[in-house]
Amino acid sequence: MQGNGSAGVVGNGNGAGEDLRIGVFICHCGGNISDVVDVKRVAERIRKLPGVVFSDTHNFMCSDPAQAMIEEKIKELNLNRVIVAACSPTLHALTFRRTLERAGLNQYLFEHVNIREQVSWVVEDPEAATRKAERLIRAAVKRIGHLAPLDKRRIPVHRSALVIGAGVAGLVAARDLAKCGMKVDVVERSPFIGGRMAQLGKVFPTGEDARPLLSKLIQEVVHDPNVTIFTSTEVLSSVGIVGDFRTKVRTTPRGVDARLTYVGNAIAACPEETISEFNYGLTKRKAIYMPHPNCYPQMPAIDWGTCTKCGKCLTAVGGKGIDLKDEPREVELHSGVIILATGYDPYEPLYGEYGYDVFPEVITLQQLWRMLDWEGPTGGQIQRGGKPIKNIAIIHCAGARQYQGISMPQPDGKVKDYCARTCCTAALHASLEVKERWPEINIYDLHQDIRTYGRGHEDYYKHASEAGVTFLRFDGHDLPKVEKDLRGEAPLVVKVIDQLTNGREIEVPADLLVLATGVVPHDISELIDMYKCAIGYDSFLLEVHPKLRPVELAVTGVFIAGSCQGPMDITECTAAAAAAASKAAAMIAHGQVEMEPFIAQVNEELCTGCRTCLVVCPYDAISRDESRGIAVVSTAVCTGCGTCAATCPSNAIVQLGFQDDQVLAELNALLDREAALVL
Amino acid sequence: MADQVMTADVSTRASATFEPRIIGFLCYWCSYTGADMAGTARMKYPPNIDIVRLMCSGRIDPELVATAFAKGADGVLVCGCHIGDCHYMVGNHKTMVRIPLLQRVLREMGIEPQRFRLEWVSAAEGARFQKIVREMTEQVRQLGPLNWPGLMRSRGVGHGMDLKPWGEV
Amino acid sequence: MSTNGSEKKKVAMYWAASCGGCDISLLEIGPRILDLTAVADVVFWPVAVDFKYADVAAYPDEYIDYCFYNGGVRNSEQEEVARLLRKKSKTLVAYGTCACDGGIPALANLKSKQGIFEAAYLDNPSTVNPAKVLPQEITETPVGQLEIPKFYDQVLRLIDVVEVDYLIPGCPPQADRVWEAILALVGGVVPPRNKAVKVACTDKSVCDECKREKRKVKIKEFKRPHQVRPEPEWCLLEQGLICMGPATRSGCGALCTNADLPCRGCYGPSGTVEDQGTAMVSAIGSILDVTTEEQARAMLNQIADPTGTFYRFSLGSSYLKARK
Repeated sequence: MQGNGSAGVVGNGNGAGEDLRIGVFICHCGGNISDVVDVKRVAERIRKLPGVVFSDTHNFMCSDPAQAMIEEKIKELNLNRVIVAACSPTLHALTFRRTLERAGLNQYLFEHVNIREQVSWVVEDPEAATRKAERLIRAAVKRIGHLAPLDKRRIPVHRSALVIGAGVAGLVAARDLAKCGMKVDVVERSPFIGGRMAQLGKVFPTGEDARPLLSKLIQEVVHDPNVTIFTSTEVLSSVGIVGDFRTKVRTTPRGVDARLTYVGNAIAACPEETISEFNYGLTKRKAIYMPHPNCYPQMPAIDWGTCTKCGKCLTAVGGKGIDLKDEPREVELHSGVIILATGYDPYEPLYGEYGYDVFPEVITLQQLWRMLDWEGPTGGQIQRGGKPIKNIAIIHCAGARQYQGISMPQPDGKVKDYCARTCCTAALHASLEVKERWPEINIYDLHQDIRTYGRGHEDYYKHASEAGVTFLRFDGHDLPKVEKDLRGEAPLVVKVIDQLTNGREIEVPADLLVLATGVVPHDISELIDMYKCAIGYDSFLLEVHPKLRPVELAVTGVFIAGSCQGPMDITECTAAAAAAASKAAAMIAHGQVEMEPFIAQVNEELCTGCRTCLVVCPYDAISRDESRGIAVVSTAVCTGCGTCAATCPSNAIVQLGFQDDQVLAELNALLDREAALVL
Repeated sequence: MADQVMTADVSTRASATFEPRIIGFLCYWCSYTGADMAGTARMKYPPNIDIVRLMCSGRIDPELVATAFAKGADGVLVCGCHIGDCHYMVGNHKTMVRIPLLQRVLREMGIEPQRFRLEWVSAAEGARFQKIVREMTEQVRQLGPLNWPGLMRSRGVGHGMDLKPWGEV
Repeated sequence: MSTNGSEKKKVAMYWAASCGGCDISLLEIGPRILDLTAVADVVFWPVAVDFKYADVAAYPDEYIDYCFYNGGVRNSEQEEVARLLRKKSKTLVAYGTCACDGGIPALANLKSKQGIFEAAYLDNPSTVNPAKVLPQEITETPVGQLEIPKFYDQVLRLIDVVEVDYLIPGCPPQADRVWEAILALVGGVVPPRNKAVKVACTDKSVCDECKREKRKVKIKEFKRPHQVRPEPEWCLLEQGLICMGPATRSGCGALCTNADLPCRGCYGPSGTVEDQGTAMVSAIGSILDVTTEEQARAMLNQIADPTGTFYRFSLGSSYLKARK
């Protein structure tokens, strides 16, 4: 069905004199649309509009034959604009844009009208639906006259990556990127790499020891010539955009070098002590320290915050291998992409939360695992307060799945309402470990639910049950209470309203109370500011889309790996890191990154230099050209939100593809009473 | 007060055949997807709303809203992501200031609050979108046509050159 | 100055719904008025000379070379005269913000005609009107019918009733700019006629002429001018004083802001902007230092009268133009 020529006038999109030749393609969607909307009638009426040269329907517009038909019509009829009316643009807009490209037409001279999700599927009366579809397509016909050809932004990508964080996720990402031939810089805040995996004894579901696994991974990374690791290094600032990030980092001297031989002497000689973060506060360590015997790098570091530079360590080792000068060095790293792998911290229970910090018998699951570690601070023995441990109670969901108004709030007034995911399996793993070593110890597991969701995790629940662990279930609105045991049977008694026995109150004796704590993201507020990361309500980094783009941030070129994104175990961190590495490598390998062209542009004639726009850009993409006194938008940084376009009180900023004149054309057509398309 | 004369007599203006024209400005990432979700779930709502898609609710210039009313919209619905969830981090922070400020100004111009709504709709809130649209359509239907162009014509605006803002489209 | 041709030009000025300030502003050109009168004759100027409407009606069409019409169109007389002057003038200029954008009189559009009459003639503490008499267009008297102009429902701009050649914004327009415009008119170097082009001004906003520096910060709190002595040399808007500068056309030399007073918007909207109020809502709404809806509400409550502040001079040009 062809119309009779191009009577339409082109809006200011395209330069004077070009006639519109619009092709309109309306989809039946196999009945999904055409069962309600009379698509044939709409196509016929649309054909009569000025500028429309072709208007017809097809059963499945997204199918290969239909796309071939569109291509053919573009060439045959010399179409210079294409409208597809079908399902939501979120599904197939890209498909159709590629069709235009194949036919040699600029892919942005395209309008996609949603007449399925927003018309045929939601409007009951077919007549009203048909009119609405026609009205929306008319609006598109008007809008399309104001579109100009656009080009994707292409930004060259420097062939290197920066990984922030050298825990398991950062190391896996670095290893995988290096294997692709990319140069990788890894920046780690601590003097030692490996992250929290090094603090574990055994890992589930294989029951292997964590540190040998970690060592294997570390060896792969450090021996790869493509990888450079910076320990004791923090990110100071980062400028630039995808493809060209310039990051200034500051490295604090380690204080120790490879010439140091009498490590034990040096450490013993040090008079200053502080709590050991590695052992979650169970022990102390010196200012010069190694967290564990197989740490990497295999040499101590000096904690300058604790060190008083008394020099006793230096004396003890004959002056060789230790340098007490602590001036930091700054280096600028150049990278095409960035991977954030900054990890998590365990939730720190509040003072008094289940008796934490009040009763010495209350510890966290992390601390229990340190005790169970044969190489840990207690040599694999569980001790607390010098008494023999006969009864252990474990409470799940300390700092997780909390209800506002029930649990103690954090300083900001909010509670941690999300599930921390890994702690159920970790707690049951610990219970089994204890039972295997000391079958006589009674273990009482108090939980809201058992969430052993992973592959092989359910076995821990089964075996723990078989091993005699007693399970009690509480409701999150009625939390267990921890009190001193006045009868003296055990130091503590935990009172729980047990759902498994129909709400009976049960008193559980506890020589040791273990809180299976939730997790929070490690504090990276400066990095979040620097890279303009979106964060979720739970404070973890927010990916673009959890299903379609799980390791990408809205800022192009910055990826996330591991538990900075949310609670996850080592398996999941590894997978996420590999995904991030793969995404990052693809970007680098391509040599350039392509971004949509719907960015803001300043009309230099209209800009009055009022500077109102400078503070509104979430990405700081707008700057002022002092010599001309006008605003300038960075085409690479701009993400196309359009906020500045709405802000400008002189209407001097336009957002390409979403310009005022384009939207106005749409509005005029929608509100046009004379077209007799009112309902 | 005399000014109440201006808004009086709603009952005579609203008629059984009046179909409100409502323009919805929706942000692509959350609210447009939420509206799609209502469709995927086959939730029915009145056809009176036409959706204009923008990338972010921060793109919604108060000018566009005023123009919509000036050109004959009986109602305008602005939807964006919930605060804290904006795909562009803080685009909706601007919306949450501009729209309430504009609502106050338009209220002083006699545009009833039910005609101009701001709602945060996430990609999962199809049912909520349906509820909002149904509710708003009925409320605007009860209020009757706004017909700003007709009102202005009756007051003598439009004899001279100034017929349409932004020229012919 | 010289003119094209040896005849003197014919100049007229009329005041409609006006305060008289625009007529006075023409005198602000000072001694240059003698240059003007050397080449032009005033053929109609109710405030200054005694020509009557009948005289104007008797002129041939396009007799008047330049006619400056100031004030808004509030009643039928003002529209009739506008039409008459259009017919009798080659070049018709909307002079001053009232004629261009509605000006302060257009704020009356926020009230109904009935409301205005009641406020003026009935509910006023200083009015004694026990019979509750309101003005009528036609009044029968013993000696005949008395007719007064019809009071319109809405204040209109000049271009709402006739075609206009140029607009000179300002409340009042600045004398130097006016003189430049007069020179251009008389010299014949003008933009095309009949396109309602704004002249004697720039297309930029007041920020362009304002000397104060911006520090690229968001507004933390709104203040009223009487509450605070502003920090010199720092942008008034950033300090929390509602300055209409970003949304206001310049040409005035930013006289107010350079004297520590926030711009009130008297030159109307800038550039290609039609609606000064929504432009200001856009700007102000984007630069508040808030991150939650409660904070936003609290800050917005600090703005005493947004409609009156943002549309003080240009309600006639806005998209909505009036209260329903």
